[in-house]
Amino acid sequence: MDSVFLSAQPLGDWEFVWQQRQFFVEGTRIAVELTFYSIVLGFILGLPAGVVEAYGGPYSKGVVRPVGVAIRGTPILVIIAITYFAFGVSPAFLAATLALGVRSAAYQSQIFRGAIESVEGGQMEAARAVGLSKLDAIRHVVLPQALRRSVPGFQNEFTIVLKDTSIAYAIGVAELLKRSYDLFSLQTSAALEVFLAASLIYFVLTFSVNRGIEVLNDRVAIPGGNY
Amino acid sequence: MAENRLLDVVDVHQSYGEERVLEGISFEMDRQDVKVLVGPSGSGKSTMLRCINRLTDIDEGEIALDGESIYDMNQNDLRRQVGMVFQDFNLFAHLTALENVTLGLKRVRDMSEPDAVEKAARQLESVGLREQANSYPAELSGGQKQRVGIARALAMDPKLMLFDEPTSALDPELIGEVLEVMRDLAEEGMTMLVVTHEMGFARQAATDVLFLEDGELVEQGPPDQLFEAPEQDRTRDFLGRLTSLHGDQ
Ligand SMILES: Nc1ncnc2c1ncn2[C@@H]1O[C@H](COP(=O)(O)OP(=O)(O)OP(=O)(O)O)[C@@H](O)[C@H]1O
Ligand SMILES: [Mg+2]
Repeated sequence: MDSVFLSAQPLGDWEFVWQQRQFFVEGTRIAVELTFYSIVLGFILGLPAGVVEAYGGPYSKGVVRPVGVAIRGTPILVIIAITYFAFGVSPAFLAATLALGVRSAAYQSQIFRGAIESVEGGQMEAARAVGLSKLDAIRHVVLPQALRRSVPGFQNEFTIVLKDTSIAYAIGVAELLKRSYDLFSLQTSAALEVFLAASLIYFVLTFSVNRGIEVLNDRVAIPGGNY
Repeated sequence: MAENRLLDVVDVHQSYGEERVLEGISFEMDRQDVKVLVGPSGSGKSTMLRCINRLTDIDEGEIALDGESIYDMNQNDLRRQVGMVFQDFNLFAHLTALENVTLGLKRVRDMSEPDAVEKAARQLESVGLREQANSYPAELSGGQKQRVGIARALAMDPKLMLFDEPTSALDPELIGEVLEVMRDLAEEGMTMLVVTHEMGFARQAATDVLFLEDGELVEQGPPDQLFEAPEQDRTRDFLGRLTSLHGDQ
């Protein structure tokens, strides 16, 4: 792991930020990785959860729903603390990924449930009328349409997860915010510059991913629109 | 049981919760019969069709396809043998016309991709849509969409085709092309149960017209008889109104 490079002479505050750019880059990389793995984990858990919420029987729904409500109702800092300190998951990066991923799953399940429910009932009916099993109908008819409709919802979800990676600093993950604190404690006069740099990085990431999602949304659109 | 019998509907009762919809419906269809089901809105026409492919379950009575109770059959197998065409098409919106037809061939009839594509292409051609095979539903006119819907059902090689107001969502100038496909189908000997207000189609293509009201079959018989000399006044009133609204096509 890299460490803060100490210079002999006092530097201007922006100079200081620039000199430590590698330190920011490393923090950014960790924030991006945390976001990526959390979103992926959230997808893997959230998609089936959304399907169950849309199509499940009373028992499966009876489990998935309350769990989702509980997770969404718990502050992310608490979820991270439970994962790391109570369940003892380690290293901290893994604990943060699990916590953010499970929390994201709880939210993604709602994106998917909403998207599934927005697909007209006639689609399922027509698939069943042809003789497809319910599972095949979900897989080949409802989900392909629902997934397309859930793409815009990921603009929010991605933004939230990215920003919340900063909370991983609480368990010592050297992501962007943690590093900003470290730098700030080295040169306290650079507080504004250091944290501005960090928020600028968050902004650039959020902005580009949101643009990317818009492009993806156009890419996967059904030709001619949704009739 | 007669060799030629395809469908028996015996004293069928059906309700949605408290609401009783079908109250003892009986009729039968021989192979190659084309029966037109008419009746006021809410009389249970759609429900009757949906009972036959088990999109809706019945409370009492019996429905048999080829002499076998539909409740003794595998549900997906039953549906493979009974094609259904919907009022608002219900084409799979994310699939091309061709893919709409191949999906069932691949997933239900376990055909290979090339076989399914070949059969689907022929099926689309038979409804006059060779050019539109790679169009998405949103890129098709209503009449074209409905013909894809018919091709999708026919591709499964059903024994019986159910049509639920197949032309009701269409602009008047597009109704003809769909009815033409249906008339051809009837001439080729397909067994068809059709809910429609198109009395011209009923006169030309139907072997029988069934008049349903308040969940009961009021009267059934060949179109000439029902149109010219119905036994019940209710039938005369209803068909008279229908013919003046949806004249002969
Ligand atoms: N899924 C459902 N749940 C509850 N009630 C229903 C349902 N589907 C239909 N009904 C009711 O059952 C009755 C018969 O409906 P059905 O759709 O079979 O009539 P219909 O003859 O096809 O009418 P239309 O000409 O308007 O299509 C109506 O009163 C309707 O409100
Ligand atoms: Mg109806």
